Amino acid sequence: MSLAGLAVAQWDSPLSHGRLSESSRAIFRSVGGAILDGCIPVAAQARAAALDGMVRRVEVLISGLPGATQDELAELLSIVSLTVGRVAVFGLFTPFKDASVAQLQDHLQAMRTSSLGLRQQVYHAFREIVNGAYFADDSSWALMGYGGPVKL
Amino acid sequence: MSSFPDPIREGLKRGWTVLGGPHGALPARIDCDVAIVGSGAGAGVTAELLTKAGLRVVLVEEGPLRSSSDFKQLESVAYPDLYQESAGRKTKDKGITILQGRCVGGSTTVNWTSSFRTPGDTLQHWRSQFGLDSYSHEQLGPYFAQAEKRLGIAPWTLAPNENNEALRRGATRINVSSAVIPRNVKGCANLGSCGMGCPTNAKQSMLVTTIPAALNAGAQLLVETRAERFELADQQVSGLLVRPVSANGTPVGSTSTRIVAKHYVLAAGAINSPAVLMRSKAPDPHGRLGTRTFLHPVVMSAGVMPHKVEGWQGAPQTVYSDHFLGTQAIDGPMGYKLEAPPIHPVIFASTLPGYGKAQAELLGQLPNAQVLLALLRDGFHAESTGGKVSLRKDGTPLLDYPLNRFVMEGARRALLSMAEIQFAAGARQVLPVHETAKPYASWAEAQKGIAELPMQPLLTRVVSAHVMGGCGMGGTAALGVTRPDGQHWQLANLSVHDGSLFPTSIGANPQLSIYGTVNRLAQGLAKRLTGRDVTLA
Repeated sequence: MSLAGLAVAQWDSPLSHGRLSESSRAIFRSVGGAILDGCIPVAAQARAAALDGMVRRVEVLISGLPGATQDELAELLSIVSLTVGRVAVFGLFTPFKDASVAQLQDHLQAMRTSSLGLRQQVYHAFREIVNGAYFADDSSWALMGYGGPVKL
Repeated sequence: MSSFPDPIREGLKRGWTVLGGPHGALPARIDCDVAIVGSGAGAGVTAELLTKAGLRVVLVEEGPLRSSSDFKQLESVAYPDLYQESAGRKTKDKGITILQGRCVGGSTTVNWTSSFRTPGDTLQHWRSQFGLDSYSHEQLGPYFAQAEKRLGIAPWTLAPNENNEALRRGATRINVSSAVIPRNVKGCANLGSCGMGCPTNAKQSMLVTTIPAALNAGAQLLVETRAERFELADQQVSGLLVRPVSANGTPVGSTSTRIVAKHYVLAAGAINSPAVLMRSKAPDPHGRLGTRTFLHPVVMSAGVMPHKVEGWQGAPQTVYSDHFLGTQAIDGPMGYKLEAPPIHPVIFASTLPGYGKAQAELLGQLPNAQVLLALLRDGFHAESTGGKVSLRKDGTPLLDYPLNRFVMEGARRALLSMAEIQFAAGARQVLPVHETAKPYASWAEAQKGIAELPMQPLLTRVVSAHVMGGCGMGGTAALGVTRPDGQHWQLANLSVHDGSLFPTSIGANPQLSIYGTVNRLAQGLAKRLTGRDVTLA
């Protein structure tokens, strides 16, 4: 995606050597919660644990991506961690940590069908990373009725 | 612990020469007869034949050396380990996700084993449009036959899994032809995990066939090592600079190794082969390098059957239909080949649309999900010129493949065909994989719904597992990057031996097209370099 038009001061590196900054982790926890709602537990403690596990696996997934992709993702996280970037890309006036699942889902839906390619790309990027991280783990497979690999 | 033998670990114990990554540091300079970039379909066949001819061969592979003991049937392990960009390689506008191998054996280590000879009408098009007069079934036939014998390629004889059986059943009910897919396997355990590396070594990939043969004959293999660029002088390649890379492809350290050879073979796969030539500033007087890169853009349709399908079990692709390749001229509106892919959790969750409770509901239907895919045959029409490779600032390649109206019109017809087949096979609902589609409960409803879908990139889910072209062959220098014998038109001691040679897409899963074509090219190269006749089988 081309984010060159949005000049952003990156005083807080959102991603360094595959590790997310605290603000980036919070973004993945909020957006991931909206994407995975219905797949993750409802009870607060179990839900938090599932999201923490997902964020840990997001870091593993990101660390395996090529440098150019990591740079692109870092740029995206820098932008959406700022109010102006969050509003421009997500259309979200509320900080991620305060936004409800329903609120975030409304904005995800708008991004998904947006006429702006960039907003669609960001929707797919978050969805793909969150789903890739969450469903790679065997704790998520029961929902899908998948019993895991054949034992050899 | 698997009880299956691991021929790679056994070979390493016997003393194969493997360097790079955990296998040992590279020296500053390596001399050999032929340096081969890559270790996939084209590289493997070339390496076996050239070592048979007595040549000293070095193979350079960017990915790691993994083998059956490492193949755990887990997507979480396989995607970052064995695929380009963790199986998330994208086109420039992110409209297409590309699955391409990046490990010893290349895509042959992770493909789904479908093995088709190059279709006759594709070869006819190459002869008439690209001056490739020697590309006919008569002349290529013996080379295909040798590859088929060497790699155990034969039609699948066991019953298809239900995911594939539904394709056969639905197609038959609406008078659409289908047939059994030939596969490159020996003693397949019917696990369904081909895409994560074969844990039983049944798949006759390059990893367990030609690469071990070459290593047994004294070839050297450099892994976790990227071919940065060729050094050029006097219309020749004078050296190949390579350097170590980490698991995610980041260069490690600042030192390069220089490989000096009499001849160089580029077989890094489409997208990567043109990128090596671009980094080398190779001559490109006709502006063809990296252009006409084709993908067989794939669209998908997910049906829900009233019974269990469990598409993760059993050989992944065993039934196909070429019916819709033949319903119009090859250079007319886009035709498509239908197949039924394997269905595992990550690929299913990443591919299907949506989020939240709607997503949870869809994913909960996995056991009953029946998925079809359509491979769109690109590159035969004036409005299907494919994509173009360029280099990012860090030298890595990026493919720009615009999904234009012509492609998306084919995609809409393909979604219709798949839905009709799925309902005919007994599906109780069908969801075209598209961001604005809803699950349809009948063929009539699907017909109306699909006709109204906005067929745009990023709304229509498009993926690819077949990357072709970018160093296309042509009968004249103006028509191609490479000559019909694989040699670069402007660089005398450089050949290209991989899917990037193809001037169009194949119109079928391309691995056997690469094996057969390269088998002929590599036999010719061996004869030219040594005067010796060698064969694969």
